[in-house]
Amino acid sequence: MFEKIHLYQVVVVFISSVMLFQGIKDFVKREVGQTLLKLIVRIVVWGGMALVAIYPNFTYSLSKLIGIEDNITAVIVTGFIFVFLIIFKLLSAIEKLEQNMSELTRRESLKDAHERIEKLRRELIADRDGDVND
Amino acid sequence: MSLRIAVVIPIFNEACAIGSVLEETRKHGDYILIVVDDGSSDDSFVHASAHGALALRHKLNRGKGAAVKTGIMAANLLEADVIVTMDGDGQHDPADIMALVIPIIEGKVDVVLGSRLMNREKMPWPKVVANYIGNIITWLLYGLFVSDSQSGFRAYSKYAALIIDTKADKYEYDSKVIREIKNNRLRFKEVPVLTRYTEYSMGKKQKQGFFNGLVTLGRMLWKMIA
Repeated sequence: MFEKIHLYQVVVVFISSVMLFQGIKDFVKREVGQTLLKLIVRIVVWGGMALVAIYPNFTYSLSKLIGIEDNITAVIVTGFIFVFLIIFKLLSAIEKLEQNMSELTRRESLKDAHERIEKLRRELIADRDGDVND
Repeated sequence: MSLRIAVVIPIFNEACAIGSVLEETRKHGDYILIVVDDGSSDDSFVHASAHGALALRHKLNRGKGAAVKTGIMAANLLEADVIVTMDGDGQHDPADIMALVIPIIEGKVDVVLGSRLMNREKMPWPKVVANYIGNIITWLLYGLFVSDSQSGFRAYSKYAALIIDTKADKYEYDSKVIREIKNNRLRFKEVPVLTRYTEYSMGKKQKQGFFNGLVTLGRMLWKMIA
């Protein structure tokens, strides 16, 4: 298996190891925003790349497993699915952040105008009471 | 007893137009004018304040929907009986406000939608086509067909203003309100409104054009799956 090692295998394994080490370290140190889901995604993506680099024959097992005959196509399709899932997760997170930003912006603008709103409200109540008395 | 009618005007870089819009609106009735400056880089906020409106400012640009929601919240704090939303570029004619408000005062409906397509003589044809497409998409996604799903000229009763709840911050807000009408079984009516297409309003970058329309559609579809 290790008789002939190609350069790409060394590079991919090295990058994957760094990324996995970084992810596990952040999760263990409980860095902000490091969730279990994020760690799992990282292990699946980078671990998967390392696995394919170390055991190229793994792609045949994968192609049999997902039913796509061509092994490289199977890897690419699987990769696309993961990338899509990651993008989906990222966009959902951005969406949530955007909503929080809007809510904060709204609260701040209403807080800044609080005195003016209260003053106007009192004036309107006084006007309404005046109308009723008339 | 006099009813409190609040007019909410969301603006973004409308320093040139907001003064005249407020003056014109004031001529048509004793309304509570609420302007929400959505993070403008010009003097829109200063101009709105100088013309006697209750001016609120978003420190960041959050979109038309977000600004309208802020304005409606302020109107609720002022205990307004009817809340009207209109654009700040002078496209909407304040003379139409009463036509929007009367059905709510009469207690017949909860929401009145101003429809440009019911009064479309001066409407450019690309806008007519775009509006029809917007109406069909809104109908397909939210199950309610209206003649102008993208109109920002609307009136809400106090009840409707409290119950309508959408997280949409950009231009898709107008369509999401249609969904809220359907989901909350609110009574609604459409009335024809005049739209004035001036060189100024048509030349604005941030207006809902073809590209922005596609972005809005993308957002509407995304929110259905996300």
